[in-house]
Amino acid sequence: MAIELAHYRAELHAWLDANHEKLAPPFLPPGTLDNHIAQMQRVKSILFEAGWMQFGWPERVGGRGGSPMLRTELGAALAERDITDAGLFSLIEVLVPTLIEFAAPELAAEVVPRLLSGTELWCQGFSEPDAGSDLASLRCHAVPDGDARTASTWVINGQKVWTSLAQYSDRCVLLTRTGPADSRHRGVTAFFVDMDTPGITVRPLEMMNGNLEFAEVFFDDVLVPADRMLGELNGGWSVAMSILPYERSSCFWQRIAYLYKRLQRLVELAPHDDRAAEVVGHAYLQLHAVRARSRATQHRLAETGALGPETSIDKLLVATAEQTTYDAVRRLLTGMVELDDSAAGEVWRSEYLYSRAATIYGGTAEVQRNIIARRLLGLGSDE
Amino acid sequence: MIDPDERALMQETVRSAIAGALATDKDADIDVVLAQLGWREMLRDEPGDAIDIVFNALGTTNASATALDDVILSALGREPRAELAVMLPRFAAWDPPGEIDAEHLHARSLATARAATAGEMLVVCGRASEPWMVTLPMTALEVRKVRGIDPDAGFRAIRTQGNLAGATRLAPGAWQSAVVLARRALAQQIAGATRSILDLACTHTKERVQFGRPIARFQAVRHRLADALVAVEALEATLSVMREEPSPETAALAKAVAGRTARTVGAHCQQVLAGIGFTTGHPFHRYLKRTLTLEGLFGSSDEIVLDVGRQLLAKRHVPTLIQL
Repeated sequence: MAIELAHYRAELHAWLDANHEKLAPPFLPPGTLDNHIAQMQRVKSILFEAGWMQFGWPERVGGRGGSPMLRTELGAALAERDITDAGLFSLIEVLVPTLIEFAAPELAAEVVPRLLSGTELWCQGFSEPDAGSDLASLRCHAVPDGDARTASTWVINGQKVWTSLAQYSDRCVLLTRTGPADSRHRGVTAFFVDMDTPGITVRPLEMMNGNLEFAEVFFDDVLVPADRMLGELNGGWSVAMSILPYERSSCFWQRIAYLYKRLQRLVELAPHDDRAAEVVGHAYLQLHAVRARSRATQHRLAETGALGPETSIDKLLVATAEQTTYDAVRRLLTGMVELDDSAAGEVWRSEYLYSRAATIYGGTAEVQRNIIARRLLGLGSDE
Repeated sequence: MIDPDERALMQETVRSAIAGALATDKDADIDVVLAQLGWREMLRDEPGDAIDIVFNALGTTNASATALDDVILSALGREPRAELAVMLPRFAAWDPPGEIDAEHLHARSLATARAATAGEMLVVCGRASEPWMVTLPMTALEVRKVRGIDPDAGFRAIRTQGNLAGATRLAPGAWQSAVVLARRALAQQIAGATRSILDLACTHTKERVQFGRPIARFQAVRHRLADALVAVEALEATLSVMREEPSPETAALAKAVAGRTARTVGAHCQQVLAGIGFTTGHPFHRYLKRTLTLEGLFGSSDEIVLDVGRQLLAKRHVPTLIQL
């Protein structure tokens, strides 16, 4: 496997070198979110055309097969080269595997190539105003038009929040309440919803770095065909959990590649003194540890086909490494984050602020620690 | 390299042999136990695996041995034997312990307990990139037992000065290979110790009842232990990388991560062990003291981090070291 990957990596990088100009962002940094989204879709379409986007995905959804680690390598290569926003690009990993596992085969075969080729963008409607860390308390409900077994249509009402890229998205993987109000994770069903369906309203939220990356999404009597149900009726919790293996392996590796690149940029700019050496050395130590951990996780996924609660450790390590890296930036590039209005300053500031969310999104650090205590350390219930 | 299942089995064999010996006699000579297990033969045949297995077990059991001397001797191309001790680098540093001043050798450093029983001591001296070695009779050295924070570790303070008669030149990379293997051993030993510390703390929190329930039910306690596990597992990941891709860089980073992990795990676990962990009646203090001592051998975390950071800045390059 290591040899195959090394071979693939070499070919990929040679191709990226050769197509450097075509792939480079056509705008100057920092660029707006609109610029970044357009660039990502453009890059995906070039990569799809050349066949790179299809590696690591099964043939039945238009892929070219091979290990999922081929996808990871592609995302990491794009991150290292700053070709497209690493966080946005890696969202593929939390959407496509869900479709492959839970959508009707014809639906998956139809839509997955559209996402991979940059024709479409999708989002994930999980969190709600009253269901954040406690996702199982979600209330946005889907009601069958008739009997649940035979209904051809479901009617969805409710609200989602923190839905990344909702305003740009063509479809949404949506979690709804289909059981009784108190049915928790047993009464959740997932749907694949077209975002242009009447009754859907998207209201972007401004993040502290000024971007409108996520949004509130309102559903008012939104009609969804029954064949858009993902997985079983009331089987939505396993759909939600199915994103974890790739979110916690491939996405993290891409994030780590991006952080190495940022530390690289920092050592090019930092002063040459022992305080700087201590600060960058400390960040490097954390990046090394999380990269080591992430590699082991991906090889375990490749061997066993599954990951479990131990990925909460990966999640905490990535979040800490990210914040440490940007703390190093702020400490060594004096005034850059706080005062510098140059393009470089805008980029560092935006990324610094974004890094503060690393211990919040994708499951807060506290929720990860709860999982570790109960499931990995065997400390029993905390109730 | 042996496969993971076999490694786990051998590790358990070594651990239980050491633990068994200590259960019978808390002052048991662990070097004898290791010799019976074939440590020196393993070290000769499969040095990496032998080091990983034996030092992890020494860490888990918090046993005192002088196997580090064997690791260094074998890296320097000398036959490891009980009668030959080695001078370690000065605490927190990793340069050769001996300084050459004209024709004279000056050395003031540390050694394991082997210095008390061996007939000779090997001293590496000069610059790390142009090392020399000389073997001195113990009578040429001033040896003093170090009580320190961890008297059970058996360290000796060593002083010597004299001429360099009989000194031989080492291959340019010899000292560095000794540093790499010693760091590997020490990082493993710390990893084993931190696992044991965490086990002790988890056990305590499940048994200790306050406010009518085990303290393991309190989130503040659980989160400290979770953070300790995160640190231990991150260390173990860096050890796996060191095993698969041994290099001066991966060994240095593993040793630095080990030292930081020891501090994180020590702090969190000591806090939840609270009063009982502060007494000598509970084994925690021995592990804590041992990890504090081990952290200073062949480079403290702070010194390694500083050195690594200087190199990143000097080369203006951040190597990734690990590929998928």
